[in-house]
Amino acid sequence: MKLIKKQIPLAIVFVFGVLTLISYYIPHKKSVDFMEMMNKWENIVAAFAFFLGLISLFYSHYSKIARKVDGWGYSLFVYIGFLAMVVPAIYCHGKQMDAAGKTALGWSFSFIYNPLSATMFAILAFYIVSTAYRSFRIKSLQAFVLFVAAFILILGKVPLGQIIWTSVLGWTGAGVDQVIDWIMSYPAVAGKRGIMIGIAIGAVVTSFKIIFGIERQYMGKD
Amino acid sequence: MLKEKLQKFFKLDRRWIFLLLAIVLFAPIIKPIGLPNKTISRDVQNAYTYMDTLAPGSFVLFSLDYDPSTRPELQPQAIAMIRHAFQKNLRVGVVTYIAGATGLIQQAFEKVPKEYNKVYGKDYVIFPYMANAVAVLTQMSSDFYGIYDKDQDGTDARTLPVMQGIKNYKNMALVVNITGTSMLDIWVAYVGDKYKVPVIGGVTAISQPGYGPYLQTGQLKGLIGGMKGAAEYESLIKQPGKGTSGIDSLNLAHLLVLALILTSNIILLIIKYL
Repeated sequence: MKLIKKQIPLAIVFVFGVLTLISYYIPHKKSVDFMEMMNKWENIVAAFAFFLGLISLFYSHYSKIARKVDGWGYSLFVYIGFLAMVVPAIYCHGKQMDAAGKTALGWSFSFIYNPLSATMFAILAFYIVSTAYRSFRIKSLQAFVLFVAAFILILGKVPLGQIIWTSVLGWTGAGVDQVIDWIMSYPAVAGKRGIMIGIAIGAVVTSFKIIFGIERQYMGKD
Repeated sequence: MLKEKLQKFFKLDRRWIFLLLAIVLFAPIIKPIGLPNKTISRDVQNAYTYMDTLAPGSFVLFSLDYDPSTRPELQPQAIAMIRHAFQKNLRVGVVTYIAGATGLIQQAFEKVPKEYNKVYGKDYVIFPYMANAVAVLTQMSSDFYGIYDKDQDGTDARTLPVMQGIKNYKNMALVVNITGTSMLDIWVAYVGDKYKVPVIGGVTAISQPGYGPYLQTGQLKGLIGGMKGAAEYESLIKQPGKGTSGIDSLNLAHLLVLALILTSNIILLIIKYL
């Protein structure tokens, strides 16, 4: 049992991990063919994962409806939303437009998916503005620096802000664009580059840990 | 007494702020202020110049990876860049790795090609949605048709005039990725850097500062950020669109945020030293 549950999966990960890594650096037809095969396999596995995810989502919401937990009515909309998009998609063979104009799928996309998705994101703007008022407190030097940088960036990003800058601080000779360029080219890039290098090193280390069987959480608890 | 009154401002019902923002956003839509967009940022100018200097007939691959949630910022960018490509008589291929983008691509291409008398299959082609972007991007490096053997209508992609001479990234003059996700990082890392393909990005305003390192090193040839970036690109191609018309609302909303932060902090200072 240990062989099937642990040793074989670890061996598969090791062999294919090393082969994929090496293939990246070998510009030979064999390695290109191998990468192509791996990509196709990956797509097939991803499709199964997508299907499993869907079953899991449906099961989780079904149990909420069956047990009538708080807010179970919202779970109904998972099925309604799914059917509202999938049924027209099957009926119209995935086409949103035909010679007569919008198909049922095109209609569902334009008048159900589109406004719902946009509304969800638009609501964020209201919370951001409200939070900016209630929570952005300049209580330390760091917060002050952050505020000044944010202030200049926001001001410089809109024409009205640029007009205000020119009329109030025009005498300094520094345009808001120049100040923004400096902020973006030096402090912002320095910070972002540090984060990117950190993430890249972390990803490399984690990959090696998985390939060599040190990190095994992906195998589950058993 | 004054201190207590001022403290009430911090307990202000958030719905008043919501109402204020709604007014600020809606008012310019009903009655546009029409403020001029005076400046063109360096990165937008670079994106425009790169596209503008491509030889007519060059193949540009557009990867449009955004859904309706980021549509107000990104769709105007995409339309402006597609218009520019058609103006320059470039060949256009469109791919996407976000399922929700398919309808938006359809909407964009319903209108724009007609403005330039461009024909589907001859001047542009749209490929179907694909999952697992990293695998697809890697595959396209050796054989484009290994993944995209058919276009969105099921036609054999190899037979389309627009695809003549295109086998992999080596035959592409430019990749344009407009996205509200981290797809641009993937394009840079897996395609731009590895196969030396020029990449131009279009992103939301909030994620724009994160791409500074790629711009400094030349890994990105240009970058369009948010609705302002779209408005700038529209002014460069001299075709005002949704980016330009949305600038008024953006103006006032940004200034409202600044005013609210300033107000709350001034009140805090008064309370502290009163």
